[in-house]
Amino acid sequence: MKATGLRICAVMMSACLAVACATANGETPAPAPDVRPPGQRLYGAHCLSCHQSDGRGVPNMQPAIAGGTWVQGDARALALFVLTGGFGSDARKDSDVGNVMPPFRQLGDADLAEILTYIRQKFGNGASAVTAAEVAEVRASLGAAPAS
Amino acid sequence: MRTACLARVVSVALTVGFASTFAAAAFADGNDGLTLPSGFSAVVVQEGQGAARHLDVAANGDIYLGGRNGLSALRDTNGDGKADVVTPFGDVKGTEVRIFGTWLYVSDDVGVYRYALKKGELAPTGARETVVSEFPKERQHSDKTFALDPKGALYINVGAPSNSCQQKDRQEGSLGQNPCPFLEKYGGVWVFDGTKLNQTPANGRRFATGMRNAVAIEWNASQNALFAVIHGRDSIDTLFPALYNAEDNATRQAEEFHKIVDGGNYGWPYTFFDTKLGHRVIAPEYGGDAKKEPEAGKYANPLVAFPAHWAPNDLLFYAGKNFPAKYQGGAFIAFHGSWNRAPEPQAGYKVVFQPMKDGKPNGAYEVFADGFAGDMKDNSPSNARYRPVGLAVGPDGSLYVADSQKGRVWRISYAGK
Repeated sequence: MKATGLRICAVMMSACLAVACATANGETPAPAPDVRPPGQRLYGAHCLSCHQSDGRGVPNMQPAIAGGTWVQGDARALALFVLTGGFGSDARKDSDVGNVMPPFRQLGDADLAEILTYIRQKFGNGASAVTAAEVAEVRASLGAAPAS
Repeated sequence: MRTACLARVVSVALTVGFASTFAAAAFADGNDGLTLPSGFSAVVVQEGQGAARHLDVAANGDIYLGGRNGLSALRDTNGDGKADVVTPFGDVKGTEVRIFGTWLYVSDDVGVYRYALKKGELAPTGARETVVSEFPKERQHSDKTFALDPKGALYINVGAPSNSCQQKDRQEGSLGQNPCPFLEKYGGVWVFDGTKLNQTPANGRRFATGMRNAVAIEWNASQNALFAVIHGRDSIDTLFPALYNAEDNATRQAEEFHKIVDGGNYGWPYTFFDTKLGHRVIAPEYGGDAKKEPEAGKYANPLVAFPAHWAPNDLLFYAGKNFPAKYQGGAFIAFHGSWNRAPEPQAGYKVVFQPMKDGKPNGAYEVFADGFAGDMKDNSPSNARYRPVGLAVGPDGSLYVADSQKGRVWRISYAGK
């Protein structure tokens, strides 16, 4: 824990220094430009808190994306799942994963395509990219049905 | 301005980083990589046979360990602390394990059962009896942890199968169901006669409500009262991004330590205790604006508000003979460790001691055992070396700790300086 403790400490110190000092001086700090690729940035905003930064999920809580045959399978099926949420395939219904996947219909086709491409090609995964047109097609097939 | 600013930075750094770093530096050798206060040492009782949960230790030192892979009985035949005999038994895959008189009470997600403990037997050979069964099978917060009082009243934690009772669980912006229907059958403690067999949930009485998931539940014999540490809600940032950011989510929703009284209401899902503001707030699902307080006195305030997402998974009041006087009557809490603090640094993964006097906190909590998680690469819980999940006290007063990653069990004893 020593290294971790020091690292956390360093992170905390720099974060606090930035925030505390800016506040004390009455200035608003300019946010640092986010230079991450869009897929990584969007994964960080919408997926990471559950599936974690290494895509391994959390035991008994959220499934791993890393090495997932399902994640690397049919792109349209994956897009459908991310748009509608739930527990996915019949096989996964019997798993001991505790938490439900929320639907992400609030995200646009291009953003979802970035996320899906990212998770299919990161964490040791090696599947094809997903296009915004493919996501749009799957979304259109859902019609106006409410998200599950 | 600069001085004040630096002072703030240093004080935060001291509480967050340096304290644990110094402890680690001083006692990192031995003890299986765990860091302990001066005078304490840890022995590995068993290396691990798969995810463990709770455990209890009999008067003769035999250890009964529960987990998702089933139950096992452990015996140290030569007094070196290591279990030489490990005997799996029974067919209950779950969490709780408690010795009560001549019985071993255990639970899985849908019921509480018991086995007779007979003299001379390590693993019980008698038939499993059902005390309560037919709780609905749920995916979320389903561990039926429990406590027994000396008269045999059985207090079962029935966690809510939901994060915050949204109309759509864990879905961005979804509002709360009002009233929350889960509270009729979940989200509280139900009390049963623990000496009667073949009961169903209908035989129980709701003892307390508004408890999301009180995995860490314990009868305090010296106070003749029930206590629990409750898992607080997740994801205020991703569900309500206009109100909260990732740092808020990682730090504000307390893990609440309460004395649980008959008829008590502890505020889930309508509120949570905000550790930043130091008071209870209305949950965003129920019209909260990150500040608004509920009606005064409606929900109990916690005895101690522990940091967000640390995941309190077991509670124990120390009454053993081995530890120094300051530990008497105090509370040990096993914090399983966070997942929902990501992308902020994960936290928890430690055993904490909360000094208590007359059933009330007596000073600040202290980290008792740390170093379980190791480096935890990528800030990812899967990479934790160990995660403390169960606590028990042996006949000599040693504290036993069980781990959910590998099923490791440690015995922590005090030998003085």
